[in-house]
Amino acid sequence: MAPKRHNARDITPSAAATTQAGPTTAGTVPATAAVTKPYRVSVTTKDSWAQVVGNVWSHYLKTTPQRTKLIDVFMAFLIVVGALQFLYCVLAGNYPFNAFLSGFSATVGQFVLTASLRMQTTEANKSDFPSVSPERAFADYVVCSLILHFFCVNFIN
Amino acid sequence: MKSFLSFSLLLLATLVSAISSTGDRLLAVLDDVAEKATYSKFLGDLESRGFKITYETPKSESLSLFRLGERKYDHVIFFPTKAKGLGPNLTPNLLVQFLNQKGNILLTLSSEVPAATSLVSLLTELDITLPSDRTGLVVDHFNHDVLSAADAHDVLLLPVPRPARPDVADLFASGAPADTPIAFPRGAGVLLGAGPLLTPIVRAPATAYLYNPKEQAEVLAADELFGAGAQLALVAGMQARNSARLAVVGSAEMLSDKWFDAKVTKVGEKKEVPTYNREVAKRVAGWAFQETGVLKVNWVEHRLNEAGPGANVSNPAMYRIKNDVTYKISLSQWDWDKWTGFTVPANDDLQLEFSMLSPFHRLHLAVDAAHSSPEATAYTASFKLPDQHGIFNFKVNYKRPFLTNIEEKNTVSVRHMAHDEWPRSYVISGAWPWIAGIGATITAWLAFVAVWMFSKPADARVVLKKTQ
Repeated sequence: MAPKRHNARDITPSAAATTQAGPTTAGTVPATAAVTKPYRVSVTTKDSWAQVVGNVWSHYLKTTPQRTKLIDVFMAFLIVVGALQFLYCVLAGNYPFNAFLSGFSATVGQFVLTASLRMQTTEANKSDFPSVSPERAFADYVVCSLILHFFCVNFIN
Repeated sequence: MKSFLSFSLLLLATLVSAISSTGDRLLAVLDDVAEKATYSKFLGDLESRGFKITYETPKSESLSLFRLGERKYDHVIFFPTKAKGLGPNLTPNLLVQFLNQKGNILLTLSSEVPAATSLVSLLTELDITLPSDRTGLVVDHFNHDVLSAADAHDVLLLPVPRPARPDVADLFASGAPADTPIAFPRGAGVLLGAGPLLTPIVRAPATAYLYNPKEQAEVLAADELFGAGAQLALVAGMQARNSARLAVVGSAEMLSDKWFDAKVTKVGEKKEVPTYNREVAKRVAGWAFQETGVLKVNWVEHRLNEAGPGANVSNPAMYRIKNDVTYKISLSQWDWDKWTGFTVPANDDLQLEFSMLSPFHRLHLAVDAAHSSPEATAYTASFKLPDQHGIFNFKVNYKRPFLTNIEEKNTVSVRHMAHDEWPRSYVISGAWPWIAGIGATITAWLAFVAVWMFSKPADARVVLKKTQ
C-alpha cells in the first residue's frame, strides 16, 4: 500500500486531473481511479468514523465495570437536567435568582461529586488513591451529597 | 350652690382667658401715660378682648421686660416717643431677647417723631430698613384724602389689604366691605429685606413715595429717593422662626380715635365714606399678639396600614421596608377666642415628607373627616414605605406667611426584610422549573444510590486482564 500512495502523490500534480484537495487522498485509493475518487473516499471515511465510534463503544461496553457505567448514565442525566435549567434561565429570566442558583448548583454540584466518585472507584486510578477503598469513597459521596441537598433546599427557600 | 359658684368661676376663667393664645400681659410704651387718651378706642378694644395693659414711659425706673429671666409681659406695643433712645431697659439686645422668648411686639412709627434708635437697631437686625434720618413722610398725589389733606396729600387712602398671592391666608381683608378705605395719615414707610420671615401687610400705592419734609421740601432728586411705590411697606409683619411676631405700623395716628371715626373722600369722588381703620387696627394687633393665624398640632399618629401583628400599635418606633403606612395629623387654628379646625387655604397644600436626608416621598395630606371635629381638622395620607432601610422622618413642614410655623418631625427606623419574611419559592411560579430541577437531581440521586448498592461489584481481576 505504501509505495502505491507514494506514486499517487507523485503523479497527481503532473497529471492535473485531480479536482480535489490532497489530504482526502489518504486511504486505500488506487491512483488510476481519479474520477470516482471523491465519492469512494467519503463513503469510506464515514464508514471508518462509524467504525471508530463503534470500536470505542464496544470497548467501553466490554471493559467498563457495571458500576462505572451506572455512574456515567447518572452523569449524563445530570448534564441534561443542568442544561435545561440553564436554558430556562436564559429564555425566561432569572427572577427568583436564589431559586436559579440553588437549582442549577444542585445539579452541577451533584455532577462534580459524582465525577469524584468515578475517579476514586475506577480501578485504573487505584494507585492515586491508595488509602481510599471503593466503600469509603461511596460513603464520602453519600454524606457530601446529602449536605449539598440540604444546602440547596434551604437556599431555594 | 357651691358647684354653681365654681362653675361660674370656671366660666369666668375661660372668658378671661379667651384672648390671645399665648398670654394677656400687654405693655404699652408711651412718651406720656396721658397720651393713651388719643388711642382710647384702640386700647379699649384690646382691653375688651381681655388684655391686661400696663402703661409705662421709657424713663420709668420700674420698666423691665424680664423678671428673674422670664418675660414679664407677653406683648409690647410701642407708640412714638420723642426721646432719641429708650433707656437701658429697652435696648435692642433686650428686645431681640424678648422676641427669642416668644414675646410679640407691635411697633408704630410717625412722620413727626423720629423712631427711637433702639427700635431702629432692632428693625435693622430684622432686615427692615428705615430712612437714615429715622423718619419720613409718605405722600401720594393720587390717593389722598381730599377732606383732610387737600394740599399736603399726606393722608393716604388705601384699599383693604388683600393677600398678595391666592394661596396666602386672608387674615386682614376677609369680610371687609368693598370700597371702605384705610386712612394712613402722616406716616412713614419701611423697606423690607428679601428674607422669608418678612411679609408686607399694606403696601404703598404705585404713585406714593417717601421724602423728608425738612430736608427735601424744595427739591427731591431721584437718586435721593428712599423708596416709592409698592416697595414701601406701610404696615409690615415679621414672624420669627419660633413664631414670635413683630408688626410695624407706619402711622401711629392711624390707630387714634380721630381716624377710627373719620370720614374721608377719595380723589375725584364726592362721597364721604367711613374709614376701615378700627377693624384693620384690631386685625393687625390681633395678628401680632397671636390672636389669629395661630396654628397648633393636636396630635400626630402614624401606624401600619396592613393586617397582622402591629396593626393596632400607634406610632411604632420601627417599620419594615415596603410596609403600607397611614399618617394622620390634627391641626387647630386659634380664631380670636377659640380653637377651630384649620382649613388649608385654597390653592395651598399641606404635605407630608417621608425623608432620610432628602424626601423619599412628598405627599398631599387630605382632610380626614372621620377624625375631625369643630375644634380640630385631621389630615391623612397613606403610602408604601420606600425600598430603603434606615432612619426616616415623618415630617410636616408648613411655613406660610402670617401662620404659625409648623415643623412636626417623627423619627422612625425602617428595617430591611427579615430572612423569613421573603415569599417562599413555591409561591413564585417562576421558580417552579428550578424546584423541579432540584427534585429531579435528588430523585435521580436516590435511584442511583439504590441501584449502586444492589449492583454487583465488578470483578477486579477480569477488568485488569482485559485492560492489559
